[in-house]
Amino acid sequence: MKAKYLYMLFLLSLVLLTSCGRKKGNLQEIVIWHWMTDREEVFNQLAKEYYELKGINIRFETYAPSDVYREKVRAAAQGGLLPDVYSPLGDQRELASFINAGYIEDLTEVMNTGWKDLFFESVLQQNTYNEGNEWKVKPGIYGVPIDVVSIQIFYNKTLFKKAGINPDNPPTTFEEFIAVCKKLRSAGIQPFVSGFGEEWLIDVFSKSFEYQILGEEGIIKTIKGEIKYTDPRWITIFELFEKMRNEKIFAEGIITMINKDAERVFATEKAAMALNGSWGINVYSGMNPQLNYDVFLPPKLTNAKYPVKIWVSSSFLNVNPKSKMKQQAIDFLKWLTENKQQITLAEKTKNIPSNKNVIDAIKYDVLKKFAANLDKSFPTLPVMENWKVVGTKCRGIQSIIIGEKTPRQLADELQAEKQKLLAELK
Amino acid sequence: MVSDRRYLNNFFYVLPAILMFAIFTIYPFIKTFQLSVYEWDGISPTMKFVGLKNYLEIFSDRLFWNSMLNAGIITLLALTFQNMLALLLAVIIDRGVKFDKFFRTVYFIPPILSGVVVGLVWKWIYDGNYGILNTILTHIGLEKYTTSWLSNPRTALVSVAVVHMWKGFGWGFVILLAGLQTIPRELYEAAAIDGADSFKQFWYVTAPLMLPIFFVVSVLTILGTMQIFDLIYSMTRGGPAGATEVPISYIYRYMANNELGYATAMAVIFGLVLFTLSILQIKISRKLRKV
Repeated sequence: MKAKYLYMLFLLSLVLLTSCGRKKGNLQEIVIWHWMTDREEVFNQLAKEYYELKGINIRFETYAPSDVYREKVRAAAQGGLLPDVYSPLGDQRELASFINAGYIEDLTEVMNTGWKDLFFESVLQQNTYNEGNEWKVKPGIYGVPIDVVSIQIFYNKTLFKKAGINPDNPPTTFEEFIAVCKKLRSAGIQPFVSGFGEEWLIDVFSKSFEYQILGEEGIIKTIKGEIKYTDPRWITIFELFEKMRNEKIFAEGIITMINKDAERVFATEKAAMALNGSWGINVYSGMNPQLNYDVFLPPKLTNAKYPVKIWVSSSFLNVNPKSKMKQQAIDFLKWLTENKQQITLAEKTKNIPSNKNVIDAIKYDVLKKFAANLDKSFPTLPVMENWKVVGTKCRGIQSIIIGEKTPRQLADELQAEKQKLLAELK
Repeated sequence: MVSDRRYLNNFFYVLPAILMFAIFTIYPFIKTFQLSVYEWDGISPTMKFVGLKNYLEIFSDRLFWNSMLNAGIITLLALTFQNMLALLLAVIIDRGVKFDKFFRTVYFIPPILSGVVVGLVWKWIYDGNYGILNTILTHIGLEKYTTSWLSNPRTALVSVAVVHMWKGFGWGFVILLAGLQTIPRELYEAAAIDGADSFKQFWYVTAPLMLPIFFVVSVLTILGTMQIFDLIYSMTRGGPAGATEVPISYIYRYMANNELGYATAMAVIFGLVLFTLSILQIKISRKLRKV
């Protein structure tokens, strides 16, 4: 009998425990989920300022690394537990799924009140869907950019000097780039490093050549299947990697290196150049404050038809349409993108502000160079290549780098993968 | 005979466990099967029924079967070298050595370490730029053997397998040692009187009595190794160019790209393969025991 009562007590305590919730009382609170660990401190500082100003508590919750964050957001979406503000942290296809499922608020109306004029157009485009997009998303603006990041090639001025290269005159063309790499190699210095163990970074480097050779139109036609991957232009792109391998430009172990490791290699002066994002400024200053570096754009191909383009992205935040604090959340995001807050963010995080009016407030010369090239951003396309094709391309480039595949073999493999997907679509 | 009332009372005691098992094991199991016949991105409220399409595609998915082969190679290496090492050390400790308790503790440290931490530490050891392995090889005059161990497709899989074996031999050691200690000492004494040397004692006394334990260790090694993921993810992410891709990392790739239907179909097939392997082993074990 006693045991029975104990059992009942256990069940009752379970019920009580599960009904324990967060009691908010009269406190107005906006919950924001993000993955940006480097911005945690400044976010909390700004939240404090906002509370003093408006009496609304802003609770930033950090979930890192980014893949853990992504999984959390997806699980929360399924369970109807999304916070007031968050980001799906995915590509346009994934963002479209969130919008179509009703998890992201359309901000077009509020953006059109003048808010959107604060931002770089190319950046805002990344969370904008135009008429006729392949995901059938209602045209509009769906996200608020908090800051901007971009990828270029960092180079170590000290190592350049050591190899007899003028550090104030970095390479601009592909031929110059190869020549510089040769000089570095003969001086016993590893020329180039990047986190090519992460496929997206290979894709970024490859795209800087793809846009020069094929242009936006050519890339769209390839995605639609109108230009084959076996086209000579694609083979030329893959041959560039073969050429770079033959000239021994890549650092030891580059193809399994994650970007954190590549950053360490560059910061410890074990490689002279690194393809990396503007966040690298913050990373390198932490790892080696004495590092003497600058940046240059990916090399221009001599016979290219189109200009050099670079990867530009932004940390977007999106509003949950089901949030009871929706309007307050939008007001907070507006406040966060105002000049004063944007300057604070840029100063503390060494990132490019998303508000173009405060771009002159950037204190770091290297960051200024990143900011000056934002107009060269890869365009946001109305279609997107299937991730399996992109994966095949990146793994194929890895194979070229280690001499396991030829450009022709990769082109054939890619085309076969593409044809399979096109047949499935039909 | 247990009365109905008593029976009901007893049932209530196990109810929480049944509920937990149903929620965290049975439901995900059924859900996995259900998802495998759909196309779903994990976000949209609607799913598209595709029947057996996902399963049919898997049969022609070269990369999936290649990942199976990679896991199979690591498993074969683990079955032989990892278990041989575990057995050798268990026999030595069982025969009685000084500081045996110390060694037992030391051998059991690698299995309890986090796979990701072990992977990251070994990644540093193998690193082509500042790895300790290359430094040692250079210092002992074997510079020509230095390489970027994890970026070289010829050495990457074996390098990961070595770490897996290093991390896993402790489990086999503990189980085998427990088995060895159940063998009566008199059998060894009798064998010694009959003139059996150490090897013969092992072959005619230890091995036959340890057969069931060997099978338990083998089944655990196969199941544990085929499902390897944490080391792969932290050391190579399946690279270079897919050279260390294993089924779980391949399934994870699809999950991360929101192709949940195909990913779960692969998980089902992978589960069936493991199930079949385990059943086969158990059957062989039973037959051998009869012999």
